[in-house]
Amino acid sequence: MEYEYGWAHRTHNLSGLSYHFAVRADDERLGCLADAVLAGLRDPCDAAPVEHWYSLTASDAALGTVDVTCDDRVLARGQQPGDALGWVVWDVNRAAAEASGCHLLLHAGGVEAGGTGVLIPGASGSGKSTLVAGLVRAGLGYLTDELAALDMASGKLMPYPKPITVKSGSFAVLSDMGPDVCRGPGHGPWVGEEWQLAVGEGTGRRVGGPCEAGFVVVPRYDATAETALTPLSATQAFLALAVNAVNLIPHGSAGTRALGRLAGRCQCFSLTVSDLDAACRLVLGLVEAPAARGGAGREP
Amino acid sequence: MNPEWPDGCSRPVRRDSAGGVELDDNVALYDTAGQLLIMLNSSAAAVWERCDGATTLDEMVGELAEAHGGDDAGAIAEDVRLTVRKLAELGLVVDAGT
Repeated sequence: MEYEYGWAHRTHNLSGLSYHFAVRADDERLGCLADAVLAGLRDPCDAAPVEHWYSLTASDAALGTVDVTCDDRVLARGQQPGDALGWVVWDVNRAAAEASGCHLLLHAGGVEAGGTGVLIPGASGSGKSTLVAGLVRAGLGYLTDELAALDMASGKLMPYPKPITVKSGSFAVLSDMGPDVCRGPGHGPWVGEEWQLAVGEGTGRRVGGPCEAGFVVVPRYDATAETALTPLSATQAFLALAVNAVNLIPHGSAGTRALGRLAGRCQCFSLTVSDLDAACRLVLGLVEAPAARGGAGREP
Repeated sequence: MNPEWPDGCSRPVRRDSAGGVELDDNVALYDTAGQLLIMLNSSAAAVWERCDGATTLDEMVGELAEAHGGDDAGAIAEDVRLTVRKLAELGLVVDAGT
C-alpha cells in the first residue's frame, strides 16, 4: 500500500497517555513491525488525532539501515531496524511523560489482576520490566513497564501499555516471549539490542484497564540471594514511591498526599529476585489471596 | 531568625504551604515554597502536630513529658525547642505571636 511521499506503511493512530502519535515507514516490513510492536497503544477507534509523526526512512539500502525522526527532529541515523524501533519507544516514553503531567507519574511497572493493580516501582536495572514481563506471561493484565500514571482525580492507575522493553540480560528467562522476528531467517538486524515485546490485540498478552492499586512491590535483583517477599511499612513504601516519582514537584502537597494514601492503602513488599518464576509465583500468591480478591488492602 | 526563638511562650504554627501525610508514626511533608519533601520521625511528628498556633512551647513540653511518663522534662524541652527551630529553618513553621 502506498501513502503520500512514498510511505509504504503507516501505523494505526497511537496514544501513550496524553501523547498522540503515529509511525510511518518507507519499508513495508518495518512499518508492519512498528504496528505490531506498538499494538498496545492503538487508539481503539483510531480517532485520536495524530499530533506527532515518527518517520522511519532508509538511510543506506545496502546496509539496510534506517534513520529515525519525530516531526522535524532527528532521533538517530543509520540504525538497524530493530534498534530504530527502540529509539521510537524511547522517545515516546519521554514525550508521554512530558505530555501527561496531569497524572502523578512514577518510574514504575504495573500489572492488573482481577481489577486490582500491582505497582512495581524501581530504578533502571532493578528488574521491574523483567518481573512485569513474567507476570504478563502468567496472565496478568499489562499496564506498563516504565511509567506508571496515577490519575489524581480518581486515584486509579492508568494503563500506558507501551511494548515491554527487555534487556539482553533477561533474554534467557523470557526466551519464549521473544519477538516473532527472532524466528525468521536473517533476523538479527530486526531484533535490536533490546526486545520490544508487543502487548494487546493479536499478541496473546492482555492489557489491563484503569484500576486502583492494591499492592506495591519493590523489586531488587540479586542473583546471589534467595527470592523472597518482605513486608514494607507504609513509610518504607512511601519512600520507595517518592524516590521514583517523576513529577512530584508540580503536584506538590496533593501528590505527596496521593503517594501517602497509596502507601497506606496498599499491601507493600520488597521483592528480592534471583529466580523469575519463583518471584512471579510469590506475586501471584499475593494477588490471588482471598483478601486481594475482595479488594482489601491495609487500612489508611 | 531571632537566635533565642522559640522560648517557652512561643506559639509556632504550621505554614499553609506545608502539607503533611501521616505514615505509621511518621509524617511526610511537602513544602511547596521550598519544593522539599521532608520525612519527620515520630518524635518530630509529635511536635509538628502540636504546632497549631495556640499551643505554647511550654505546653507542648508538658504534654510530651506526660506522654513519656514524666521523663526528664529538661531534656524534652530542649529537644522540642531544637525541633521547632529546625522546622522554622526549613520554613515549615512560623511564629504565631505570643
